[in-house]
Amino acid sequence: MIDDGALDGLSDEELVKRPFDELVAALQTTVQRLEGGSVGLEESIELYQRGLRLHTACDARLRDAELKITELGRRGVPGAEAEAATPTEE
Amino acid sequence: MGSPDQPSIWDQPAPAGDQPAPAGDEPAPARPAPRILRVTDLNRRVRSLLDSDAILADVWVEGEVSQPSFPPSGHCFFTLKDANSQLRAALFREELTRAGMRPTHGMNVIIHGRVRAYEPQGVYQLYVDTITAAGAGDLHARYEALRVELAAAGLFEESRKRQIPRWPRRIGVVTSPVGAVWRDITNVLKRRYPLVELILSPTVVQGATAAPAIVRALKRLYAQPDLDTIILARGGGSLEDLWGFNDEQVVRAVADAPVPIIVGVGHESDVTLADFAADLRAPTPSAAAELATPDATQLQTVLGRMRDRASAALLGRASEQRRRVDAERRALTGLAPDIGAARQRTSDLLERGLRAVDHRLGEGRMEVAAAQATLRTLSPVATLDRGYAVARTADGRILRDATTVASGDSLQVIVARGTVETRVERTRADGTEDLLR
Repeated sequence: MIDDGALDGLSDEELVKRPFDELVAALQTTVQRLEGGSVGLEESIELYQRGLRLHTACDARLRDAELKITELGRRGVPGAEAEAATPTEE
Repeated sequence: MGSPDQPSIWDQPAPAGDQPAPAGDEPAPARPAPRILRVTDLNRRVRSLLDSDAILADVWVEGEVSQPSFPPSGHCFFTLKDANSQLRAALFREELTRAGMRPTHGMNVIIHGRVRAYEPQGVYQLYVDTITAAGAGDLHARYEALRVELAAAGLFEESRKRQIPRWPRRIGVVTSPVGAVWRDITNVLKRRYPLVELILSPTVVQGATAAPAIVRALKRLYAQPDLDTIILARGGGSLEDLWGFNDEQVVRAVADAPVPIIVGVGHESDVTLADFAADLRAPTPSAAAELATPDATQLQTVLGRMRDRASAALLGRASEQRRRVDAERRALTGLAPDIGAARQRTSDLLERGLRAVDHRLGEGRMEVAAAQATLRTLSPVATLDRGYAVARTADGRILRDATTVASGDSLQVIVARGTVETRVERTRADGTEDLLR
């Protein structure tokens, strides 16, 4: 979880590299606090700006995401290739 | 076609027939025309080949009875199979009666017989002379027995099921890297949640080696750090095809998963013991991928909604502030009329007071004037103005009776303006009435 201080200390580039779920969670918390009603106008504006940054970061992550695939046992695990090469399945 | 007992010309050995080719020292004759067999002849040849095999003529075989039929002839025909292969079998009436049992579908049996070709259909089959049930060893019974045993061991308990992480970062997948399943899973995730990292632990998923291979692939994945979820998947198939997923070691390995595991095997209707041991059962491999991830296409909407909520909250906060300010202004302006009214009231009172005072003053002035007038009327000066005079004796008495003075007495006669010093010449008692003339 990213706390407020850490969040505000991050540049936009750094923010985008944070795990996606952290960004979503931080956005959620920010919105909830904004909606909570116990914050003043000044803090509301700060929270809103923070929410916008997080939203932009989430958006960028979604837009640029590419599925990353790692295959185990390609090398070093005897038999993996043989197993992998078995052609029939269905 | 003649009777099989009457040799046809085709039964005669061909001129160079079965003999080894002559040594190559002679010049090769013209290439002989290809020998063309009738179907019957070919089948007969296969039959004699099979008949000449000592093992096939006297064989014991174990397998599962599949779809036995009992035509009116009284014989019984069925398919004998195991996980990988199948064989046609014929059990004639006499042997059937002797066996003292009827083969049923799914029954595991041990058979003695011989394998021969059945020429009319060009198939080979097992001619059964002895058949015995192999006890509760058939796949269904084994499945059921293992299910009961593992359930008793608590592997399928609902309380063991863990929540599938909603926002996985790394998902491990155990499946065959070739074929539709792996492709389906990656396609679903590319479309749905490309933010995730997939770790594929490849394995065979079919055949006799499947079970230990699946266990190895799972264990390989269990050694990976930071996995959030594991998917174990394979495509649909027969009970035999899916048998690896009913293997006790596989089921136990699934139950031992260090992180939540989703099993998606076969189609909707295929339920394996591995499914029961999983934290979540998916009807298909694609469904497993869907159940493992949030939908990024919906995420856009969800995120957009959050941003909207933030805007709405901020606007709400701003207008709330404005409302508060307005309310306070209203409260202030609400107070102002009160002051005015009070001022009004005060000034009214004041005015009324002043008016009352004025009035009183006016009255007072009039009273004073009246009093002055009265006073003036009563004053001897006013009387003197009217022509009266006041006579005072020398000792200062006001002379009211003429007899109280005598001739020669000095008198002061005070008139409106001035005093006359005089002496009495004579007095008379009468004369007052002259004033009225």
